Amino acid sequence: MTSSGFSQVGRKTVELFYDVVSPYSWIGFELLCRYRHKWNIDLKFKPFFLGAIMHYSKNSPPGSNLHKGNYAGKDLHRLRSYCNIPLNAPSDVAEVMFVKGTLSAQRLLTAISMDLDDKAVEDVSRELWLRIWSKDKDITEADSLLAAATNAGIPMEKAKILLTRIKDQDVKDKLKERTETALSHGAFGAPTILVHVDGKAHMYFGSDRMPLIAHLLGEKYEGPLPELSKL
Amino acid sequence: MATPAKRTVEFFYDVISPYSWIAFEQICKYRGRWGIDLKFKPFLLGGVFKASGNDTPSTNSQKLKYIVLDMNRLAKFYKVPFQNPPNMMEMIMKGTLSAQRFIVAASMDLHDKATENISRQLWMRLWSKNQDATTPESLFEAARLAGVDENQAKKLLTRMKDSDVKDGLKQNTERALKNGAFGSPTILVHIDGKSHMFFGSDRFHIIAHIMGVKYEGPL
Repeated sequence: MTSSGFSQVGRKTVELFYDVVSPYSWIGFELLCRYRHKWNIDLKFKPFFLGAIMHYSKNSPPGSNLHKGNYAGKDLHRLRSYCNIPLNAPSDVAEVMFVKGTLSAQRLLTAISMDLDDKAVEDVSRELWLRIWSKDKDITEADSLLAAATNAGIPMEKAKILLTRIKDQDVKDKLKERTETALSHGAFGAPTILVHVDGKAHMYFGSDRMPLIAHLLGEKYEGPLPELSKL
Repeated sequence: MATPAKRTVEFFYDVISPYSWIAFEQICKYRGRWGIDLKFKPFLLGGVFKASGNDTPSTNSQKLKYIVLDMNRLAKFYKVPFQNPPNMMEMIMKGTLSAQRFIVAASMDLHDKATENISRQLWMRLWSKNQDATTPESLFEAARLAGVDENQAKKLLTRMKDSDVKDGLKQNTERALKNGAFGSPTILVHIDGKSHMFFGSDRFHIIAHIMGVKYEGPL
């Protein structure tokens, strides 16, 4: 069989494990969304829980080191304009990332991934990142989550149902299961990207290995393609 | 038309760091293309870690596994002959104080090309050929393979004990720290009287972007 670009059979699957608490995940997410068609990949969104990843891999966030934290702020600011992603640090980063956290947000994304389609997961993820990492808005309260969902085009009635779903055991279990899957592939942070080629899963960490991923896929990485931004 | 002033890029590194090797080979290849004045600044990563409160990523077992995977991928992609040392942790524990002093001596007494070649030979020993880089014999051999003549190589070995060489290493380390270093490589790009600090081997596209030049991946 020829490897026609239209063949579903030849399409390679890329799983993106992410948590909206992580700004580097946002960069990885937008870049993969921009390359999805160019590379003809089947991009699967896998919201997981970074708190558990850090705990079980015994890793600690880079921000826990003052020098690294300062550099990450600078690095994100550079990536902001280079990648055309409107990243802004929240006024109280530690409070937002480590006190308030993202468990309900990640459960909401999980519920959406179970009950709706990929497009909805993509759009709500983006709305949540815009709230936390651009507009300095809450993503823990029910109203915040509803606003993110409805901004992403989900009708209010449906959004309310999704919000009740975050307490359901199957949603909680799914989030756990995805987190465990990432851990079993060696995850220690976010984003964790699994590229499936020739029946093998190749794990990549971070948003800065796109040239290597392209190489593995037999495709080309041409930079951040700001013209394809959905922001 | 006037030729624009050459931009200075200071490259701080320690041969204990394999990511620094990847970055070193990249920046050496782009030096001519980008028209930069590349300055080699050997520093002591152990000192950087201590002062910044950072630690080697390889102390975390999940990260260590990934680093080995990542390094092998990068080496293939950038065509750097990296090979996993079988006793990596042991090698890391031996440290690079003498190697880094040796490179500093070369950077003070010889020309840039010698500093570049000796650094490369030391990376080759540690991260390609599974060889020692601590004894005088090892350093001597690295210098000889780098094209330094026998007498000069012997002299570099004695220079390592001189306080100006020791101070040179200290000064490079302190200069990096002052600019926010917490690991290796640390790259300082000077543009219009401002210095921009970059960490790691994966920010060349952004370095190119702020310099207004093009990064085209591995050459």
